[in-house]
Amino acid sequence: MSEEIKQQVSMAETGRGFMAAAAGWIVPGLGHAILKRWGSAAVAFISVSVLAILGMAMRGNVFPSSSVDPFDRLGFFADLGTGAYYFLSKTFEASGPDVSRAAGVYGTMLIATAGVLNMLFMLEAFDIGRKTKQ
Amino acid sequence: MLNHFQTLLLFAFIASLAFAFLSKRKLGERARYAIWAFLAFVIVAIGIGWLMYPFTR
Repeated sequence: MSEEIKQQVSMAETGRGFMAAAAGWIVPGLGHAILKRWGSAAVAFISVSVLAILGMAMRGNVFPSSSVDPFDRLGFFADLGTGAYYFLSKTFEASGPDVSRAAGVYGTMLIATAGVLNMLFMLEAFDIGRKTKQ
Repeated sequence: MLNHFQTLLLFAFIASLAFAFLSKRKLGERARYAIWAFLAFVIVAIGIGWLMYPFTR
C-alpha cells in the first residue's frame, strides 16, 4: 500500500474514531453501537443512564458552566461528560438540587461518576474506531 | 428512594460492570473482574465507614 493511501486510511479511521466518540458523548453507548459493539453499548447506556438519573432523582448538584470555584469547575466538566443528561438535567431534576441532605451529596457524586464513566467509554469508542484497540 | 447502603451496592455494581467491560474482552474475564471489583468496592467502603465511626460524635 502506498504512503498516500495509508495516510488516507489512517485519516478515515481517525474520523470514524472522532465520530464514535462524539456520538457516545451525546447518547451514552451510541458510539459503541455505531461500531457494532452491542454488549459494550448496552453497558455504557445502562450504567451512565442509571447513575445520572438516580443522581438527579436524589437531587444531586449539576454544576453550571458559570462555576467559578475550581472544584465546581471540575464538577462541571465531570457532569458535562453525561452528554444529553447534562442538557436534560432541568427536566429530570425539576425541583433543583438539595445538598443539605446526605442523599443530595451522594446524588452529586453519582452524576459526576456517570460523566467520568461516559468519558472512559468515549475514549474506548475512539480507540476502537481508530483500530488502535480490538 | 434507596437508602445509603442500597445506593452503595448499586454504585458498586454499576461501576464494576463498566470497568469490567472497559478493561477486559472475554466474557469469563469480565465476570471475574466485575465480581472482584464489586467485592473490593463494598469491602473498602464498609472498612472506611468503620474507620470513621470513632469520629462521628
